Amino acid sequence: MVVAVTNLTYFLAWAYLDPRSNYVGRRPPLSEEQIVNLLEPRNLDDNVPLLERWWTWFSGIVFRWDWGVSPTGQSVNEQVAYRMWISAELMLGATLLLTLIGIGLGVYSASRQYRLGDRVAQGTSIITMNIPIVVAALGLVLLAIAFNNAVGSTIFYVTGASSPGVSGFFPTIVDTAQHIALPTAALVLVGYAQYHFLQRSLLLDNIKSDYVRMARAKGLTKQQAIRKHALRTSLIPVTTQVAFSIPGIFTGAVLTESIFAWKGMGQYFIETISKNDINGVVAVAAFGAVMTAIGAILADIAVVVLDPRVRVS
Amino acid sequence: MATDSSMVDPLAEGEPAPPVAAPGDRRRLSKWRLYSRRFARNRPAVAGVVIFVLLVAFALLGPLFARYDHVELDFLALSDPPSPEHWFGTNNAGNDLYAMVVVGLQRSLLIAVVVATGTTILSAVIGTAAAYFGGRVERVSLFVIHFLMVAPTFLLLAMMSNDSGGDWRVIALVLILVSWFFQARTIWTLSLSLREREFVHAARYMGVPGMRIVLRHLIPNIGSLLVINFTLGVVGAVMAETGLSFLGFGVKLPDVSLGSLIGIGSSSISSAPWMFYFPAAALTLLTVSMALVADGLRDALDPTSAAGGRA
Repeated sequence: MVVAVTNLTYFLAWAYLDPRSNYVGRRPPLSEEQIVNLLEPRNLDDNVPLLERWWTWFSGIVFRWDWGVSPTGQSVNEQVAYRMWISAELMLGATLLLTLIGIGLGVYSASRQYRLGDRVAQGTSIITMNIPIVVAALGLVLLAIAFNNAVGSTIFYVTGASSPGVSGFFPTIVDTAQHIALPTAALVLVGYAQYHFLQRSLLLDNIKSDYVRMARAKGLTKQQAIRKHALRTSLIPVTTQVAFSIPGIFTGAVLTESIFAWKGMGQYFIETISKNDINGVVAVAAFGAVMTAIGAILADIAVVVLDPRVRVS
Repeated sequence: MATDSSMVDPLAEGEPAPPVAAPGDRRRLSKWRLYSRRFARNRPAVAGVVIFVLLVAFALLGPLFARYDHVELDFLALSDPPSPEHWFGTNNAGNDLYAMVVVGLQRSLLIAVVVATGTTILSAVIGTAAAYFGGRVERVSLFVIHFLMVAPTFLLLAMMSNDSGGDWRVIALVLILVSWFFQARTIWTLSLSLREREFVHAARYMGVPGMRIVLRHLIPNIGSLLVINFTLGVVGAVMAETGLSFLGFGVKLPDVSLGSLIGIGSSSISSAPWMFYFPAAALTLLTVSMALVADGLRDALDPTSAAGGRA
């Protein structure tokens, strides 16, 4: 499936993107020969039959693990290998935080269903969940700028993943934290609510079940019964959901990365499309497909580990 | 225990005795009156409807009050903050932001409604037909659905709509193409049990043609799900469209949508923040109000839900 999707994307990308147009409008104008000379060694010349281009590209991957070069000659392999970790740096922290906050709030509001705390938490969550990420991120940028002005020094950086020229262990950590705080906050703000709702409804189903009533009848307090009996079973579907979100960790948040100018996979994706970088586009698609497959496998493993009723024969 | 029946979950606390009506004055509630009564009891949902209606009114009636056209340039007011002359301020080329927000809201709403309608119809027909006919129809549609689930749809979306040159009709069509299959899969699962029901068998043995059973018997039975899907589809379509337009792959100048306005505003966010405030406020109100409506509808249409109170 992954191979099929990747190859299909290759043909689709050729149908919609045109690397030649990168060079046509140049000033001084390039002659046809010059353009061909630039494109041909990069396997991007549209005078070569499509099947031949495809074979050169495909055999390069299969035999040499070479995903090709961009119209300007940069290696796609290098770009992906470098950007993948920038995206992971941003998304890992955000995913961890939003999962914990979501589950915590879910447990809180399920154990006091329809009381004030639950209603307030649910009302907040439904609003934050539906704030578009663009608005949330830019709103945070405005807040941070106001905060920086009020304090008088730059606490939060609104662009980039790190400042140039920072060395040493602790300065690097502080610098990273200053850069990572805002994008993480934006991702958490719009993302935690889905786990809140999921955890709440799952836990409510379990609180009403017989074995939790049994635990209460044994003399456990409501808190103990929820923590030791209801929560454990209701965590299983949530874990599956989190495992499925792992592909997103590496493919990244396209909008967040472009707003905060993080040079991760999401930003690469935009760059490749707007620069007609066909090899790059296909690499992003293939990467996404592989990550989806890995996420599905991880979800299965998580269920086997957590759920004693599921046994691998 | 608490006795205020409106705040008690009857599933958790045991059903309080239903109020006994005198035999004479018992009235039957029609389905729609029941739904609307349950919906009206949900205050956030009603607030969502009110906000949404106001936004639609603003999009439709706003041009009547506009002093400028959205492509008109006022060279005496470049990057002006909100003033009596330009209610929402102007951008660096002298466009009136009020006029642009009105047009952008119209564009975003139009795309969202078209996409949500198309997605709902397509997913309902394909999902139920796949479940009802079974066999080859089912295999082919499921193959397509699963293939699209793995395919990098956002990438396709960006490439296709970038290629379209910013025509909103193409963007809407592409958005429908990449968003119908999740719903279709849910509907297929639901319809699997529906096709074994007696009324479907009865219709089949009476000789009703297959497509007619799908349209007249299966689809009305998942009607409430479709209504909810539609409202959630509006939210999703607005978000997808604004994301695309923000990145510059969607609606392009001179046409504007809320997303492209925010994209323009983001580049001058510290010097001219009003260019961000107004489109962002309109966009957030739109998505949040629709989500509240969807939430209220889900509670009102779901017979097992207790959140809407009794009856």
